[in-house]
Amino acid sequence: MSRKFLETESPKWVEQGIINAEQQQRLLGLYPPDEKAIGLLPLLGSLLVGLSALSLIAANWQGLPETVRLGILLSALAGSYAAGEHFLRRGNHSLGIGLTGLGLILFGASIILVSQMYQLIGYDVTGLVAWAVAATALTYLYQSRALFIMTVVISCIVQGYNTGQLGAFSYATAAFTALSLGYYWWRHPDALLSTVLAIGLLWQAGLLVSFLHIKITWFFVGAMLIYTLGDWQNDRPAGRAMQGPPIAAAFLFMLGLAVFGEAGSYTDMLRPPLLAYLAALGAVFGLSLVAKRKRGRLGGATDWLLLLPGFYLPGGLPLAIAALVVLYAYTGTLLWRAHQEQNSDRVTLGTVLFILTTAVAYFKLTWGFMDKSLFFLLGGVLLLGLSWYLQRRAAQTLASSEPTDKPRS
Amino acid sequence: MATPLPSNHRRWVLLLVAAQMLFILAVAAAGYATTAYGRVVTLRTLPVDPRDLLYGDYVRLNYTISQVPISLWQETTLPRRRQAVYVVLRPAGEAYEAVRVYAQEPTELPADQIVLRGWIEDRYRRSLHIRYNLERYYVPEGKGKELERKGRHHNMLVRVSIAPWGQARITEAQVLP
Repeated sequence: MSRKFLETESPKWVEQGIINAEQQQRLLGLYPPDEKAIGLLPLLGSLLVGLSALSLIAANWQGLPETVRLGILLSALAGSYAAGEHFLRRGNHSLGIGLTGLGLILFGASIILVSQMYQLIGYDVTGLVAWAVAATALTYLYQSRALFIMTVVISCIVQGYNTGQLGAFSYATAAFTALSLGYYWWRHPDALLSTVLAIGLLWQAGLLVSFLHIKITWFFVGAMLIYTLGDWQNDRPAGRAMQGPPIAAAFLFMLGLAVFGEAGSYTDMLRPPLLAYLAALGAVFGLSLVAKRKRGRLGGATDWLLLLPGFYLPGGLPLAIAALVVLYAYTGTLLWRAHQEQNSDRVTLGTVLFILTTAVAYFKLTWGFMDKSLFFLLGGVLLLGLSWYLQRRAAQTLASSEPTDKPRS
Repeated sequence: MATPLPSNHRRWVLLLVAAQMLFILAVAAAGYATTAYGRVVTLRTLPVDPRDLLYGDYVRLNYTISQVPISLWQETTLPRRRQAVYVVLRPAGEAYEAVRVYAQEPTELPADQIVLRGWIEDRYRRSLHIRYNLERYYVPEGKGKELERKGRHHNMLVRVSIAPWGQARITEAQVLP
């Protein structure tokens, strides 16, 4: 409950005699005013001061002697870390972490600027890997969510630069990111960090697949490994959040197959050797099932329906239809489970995905055969009817979940 | 909110910041070492589209060794885009020219030849476009306008130091008369 809500509502409760004035004060005392807004101003102020200094230096950068430039970079780096530490000790957490993050950005910028200064060519990512390692060390040292997110972003940049510019994949960076940040996440589960980490790891997996020039569907073995990590996480919200991005990726991929599957021009990029692919995916599936069973959530295994390898069907209409079947299997079971669990968020999600799938199916299967205006009319009617029905189901489900409150009215 | 920081926290912070500063100094040192221990080779550039030449604080350079005939490729499999390659250079007149291109670093080179690392930028039917990351020359103080003016119609000679450990850097660029 927020303090603002209490402040506006509690006078009415006193008026109506539900609580007395003293109880109102005690309730308010439970929710001290938020100090975050106050911490924001010095942060913005220091940002502006920093920017002015930065533009002054940038304007004269080339004209400065090398040693002066080096000195400026090093003192700015040390200065922002020292200032960050100072404010953290004074208890100003957001400003302290902000300045420490600035120091981290300055470290990366210094590596790049100094190698430019000496016209050095980066033949490998050693310099930038040092940046990712420093970021990870800071995350552990300060136990900060902001620094964790920065670390994920930095390691994504490093790997992206490596595959994009240097034509190499740094397994060390990928393994280091997965292990160090994964361990941190394991010990400090948090929904936001889960999502960020999952996206970061998906990015690394995607770059690896593109670097190795293997079939793109191998990506989903990695993605589902990330999903399985979520199954093993004891903290349920963190585990679910970890599973969001891989499932979203699989869903979007299947949706793409359903829409563009007929083109056939890229279908040769889809099919890895059947046995090897199924064995790898099956192994991950097994790991996921063991975790789900241990935690009594075998129902969640329906997520795996999205991974049915419908793309082994020949290109063209069969492929599109296979993708649609997979999508319907997933969204259908998602809706069914949401209604059973009477979970309103998931009912909404399931409804949206089900309607999306239906729209694609309709578009796919009827566009060619029907007059355009009739196409839109029927499609509109179909979608409206479907959303009306699903919303009614959702309302019924939610109404039946609160029977204990009803009899009183 | 913030968890209480452990007692040896300050020592770790100091250590980490010192390590980062040392690393930056090491990058600078690598620059000096490449000049000190490197072998200097001279590369010739082609005239660049003047609108293309000066980008803020650096000049874009296009070398004669940026386009090499595909016959120089020494491997059996065709090169891929963004693949790292090793280009063997040999002096030819006032500048060095490419003689062979490998996918793996060649051992046992004649004394007058030297390896420069690069990346395949594009593969054409008869030639390879190779990027050396020497294409940007960060111009020393105030020389940009002069280089831009002269480089429009003339070739340039660029001196590159190549260290025994493979690191390369531009040490000087001059416009040919």
